[in-house]
Amino acid sequence: MTSTVWQSQSPQVEPPNRNARPLARRRKRRWLPSFETRMMLPAIIPLALLSLIPFGYIIWMSVSKVTLLGGVHLTGVGGANWAKMFHDPAVWSSWRISAIYFIATVGIEMLLGMGIAILVHEHVVGRNLLVSILLMPMFVAPVIVGLLGRFLTDSSFGLYSWMLRLIGFDTNILGRPGMALATVVALDVWEWTPLIMLITLAGLSAVPPALIEAASLDGAGYFKRFWYVVLPSISGVLVVALLIRAMDAIRFFDIIWITTNGGPADATKIIPLRLYEIAFRFFDLGYAAAIGLSMLAFSIIVANLFVTLLEKKRGVAQ
Amino acid sequence: MSAHGDSDREDVTNLDGNKAVGLSRREVLRDTTLLAMSAVALPSLLAACGGSAKTSSSATASGGATDWKQFQGTTLNFISENTAPSAAIAADSAAFTEKTGMTIKIQQMELGALVQKVALDFGSGRASYDIIYADPYQVLAPYYQGLVDLNKFVSDTSLPQIPLGIGDFIPAQLLTVGRFLDESKLYALPYDCPTMIWFYRKDIFAKYKDQMSQALGFDPTPSVDSTWEQYYQIAKWFNANKAKTGIPYGTGHQAKQYDSLMCDFSNILAAHGGGYFADDAKVGGLGSASPGACMLDQPEAIQAADFYMKLLAIANPASTTWDWSGADAGFQAEQMVMVPNWHEFAAGDVKKFGEKVGYYRLPKGPKRAADIFGGTGIAINGGAAEKQQKAAWLFLLWATSPETQLADLKSKVGGGTPTRTSVYEMPEVIQNSKWPSTLPNLLATGAAREAWKPENVYMRPKIPQWNQVDTVVFTELSKMLAGQQSPQATMKSATQQIDKIVGA
Repeated sequence: MTSTVWQSQSPQVEPPNRNARPLARRRKRRWLPSFETRMMLPAIIPLALLSLIPFGYIIWMSVSKVTLLGGVHLTGVGGANWAKMFHDPAVWSSWRISAIYFIATVGIEMLLGMGIAILVHEHVVGRNLLVSILLMPMFVAPVIVGLLGRFLTDSSFGLYSWMLRLIGFDTNILGRPGMALATVVALDVWEWTPLIMLITLAGLSAVPPALIEAASLDGAGYFKRFWYVVLPSISGVLVVALLIRAMDAIRFFDIIWITTNGGPADATKIIPLRLYEIAFRFFDLGYAAAIGLSMLAFSIIVANLFVTLLEKKRGVAQ
Repeated sequence: MSAHGDSDREDVTNLDGNKAVGLSRREVLRDTTLLAMSAVALPSLLAACGGSAKTSSSATASGGATDWKQFQGTTLNFISENTAPSAAIAADSAAFTEKTGMTIKIQQMELGALVQKVALDFGSGRASYDIIYADPYQVLAPYYQGLVDLNKFVSDTSLPQIPLGIGDFIPAQLLTVGRFLDESKLYALPYDCPTMIWFYRKDIFAKYKDQMSQALGFDPTPSVDSTWEQYYQIAKWFNANKAKTGIPYGTGHQAKQYDSLMCDFSNILAAHGGGYFADDAKVGGLGSASPGACMLDQPEAIQAADFYMKLLAIANPASTTWDWSGADAGFQAEQMVMVPNWHEFAAGDVKKFGEKVGYYRLPKGPKRAADIFGGTGIAINGGAAEKQQKAAWLFLLWATSPETQLADLKSKVGGGTPTRTSVYEMPEVIQNSKWPSTLPNLLATGAAREAWKPENVYMRPKIPQWNQVDTVVFTELSKMLAGQQSPQATMKSATQQIDKIVGA
């Protein structure tokens, strides 16, 4: 119908080339995102704005001096904040403590989490109840874990201090640099080992029983079965667990803030605490932005490392 | 008006008396109905008249220097550290509402969180807080440009004025908490005044006085002549005799890597004649934007650091995990016999020990006695609207008035520390300054008032960079106490870092 009207109103105009419209559509399509992408745009655009604008702003802050009085003012200082960061021994010291903390917490949590998961997996009667009990620390807010730790280790009325005193040990748990660091590591391990256990347990449940049976029939003992069959089967899941905990450990804050405030003698001042101090105690927001970006870079490197490892595992599996 | 009223009464009398005798039933019914209606309507009418009279009176007084209700209906936001006086003020806020018709919303938090919120509020320009708990070191010095010069309200005749005048505030406290750089400007009114003094178990001192005197060669009872060296000897004696006293240590300190460590050390630093900057008295009083070179590497400061390390070596080992609250909790838990403590903690200790606790100003060092002052003022946000600022001024007057400070002392939730001379001269206050007292915080004010004397009080440097300087001081001291560096290296390292911060 439409076509008839069009022809009758413009008889002198040549009918359009049949191929022309699809070509134009194709050209148009080349510039338009796919249908699926267009459907996602309403969600992607606000998300991008929420992430990219602050990201751009923080980069700008990192090359500026930021003043707050009378409204936020940024004055360009070039690479001064970055140069200061690379030459600041306090920041390097915090990175060093962060590395120790990172390796200790993630390492212990992985080993303990795996170990507990294997034991629980072998446990048949009341497994669900056992898992529920073991998962409980994970549901406690980190700030509460910090408070609990502070009270339990308080040298006047702390339970752990009292127990240590009974067997003749020094009870000044949070007052000595080495012990304070070990304590905050222990608190983190107590809270997050259950997460590793849960992820590992999920991986163990997915190992085909036929594989284990076949290995048993071939004469493999428990440890050989674990090493050659179970561990390769759950390695992908373990890398995911490692990735999650590693990302968390880099930005860890609450427990240390509550228990030691970074002390004694800066022994527990990991890089997020240093960043917080510079940003919200000294209000040197430009310098803090530079440190924050360096933490982001470190997180991306670590994440990529683990993702590459995961990809390799998948490649080997395929 | 009076004549007209009288004639009305006559009419009524006539109506009730004479005319009623020969009235028809219809007339009686009509008049009775009218009377009943009048009886119902009169109270409402009177109430309405009363209400309008009240409104009229309020309108007449609006803008006057005695009119506390000129901003009726306004809501004020006050951000404060979670201190005893603020707890008392919050509990008593109904009295403010009753007096002014305004509502006060008080947010209380830890000092670090308060400083953050205030700084970010200045950055946003929103003036979310009309009234600010202006710590002289962490708020006033770095952000004084964001606070209102209160002189503009002092000279405004349309507003109520400071009860008993500005001179009623303790002068040294007014200078420290209220002014910065320019003596003619006033940014805050003194609100609280915690000061570090010597808390000791009077009962234990009395019990072992003779034994200690014999062993130590001096009377251990705190006196004007007591020295830090004697304090050390007394603490050591208590350590050695813990089986007798039942208390494991002689002394405990607020030596956690925190602001409290700087405060604890500053008492000893100043007592030894040391200081953070060359003109510490001026830098601590009016403040300075450029305090000059740091003096912590001078012999007096190193000697003080040496002594502090020696003292902490015999103190309760938990001292390095205690901030001010921790040290007081340790004292209450009978973990030590004496503690340099903030005088506003007295109320809590009295609850636990009654009259067993004694208070004195801190011991002397080789140069002087020094008791660090930790008071704060309340200020008005310069970004707030003019009307809000004026309304906030009324809150400042009320919160720092002698009546409110007395009420704070009586508060069950708080226990204020008055900043006005007149309050300490009130008969009720004088009477309760000695045991038995219904106002337990007052028991420590005798020692505190001694500590506030110019020759005894110590004001830390009031400079915009104080947060950084403070952090350097307590971090380096914490390293020293952990045995990672010598007192000399500590003071040298702190000096180098502070010089860099202040640009000396």
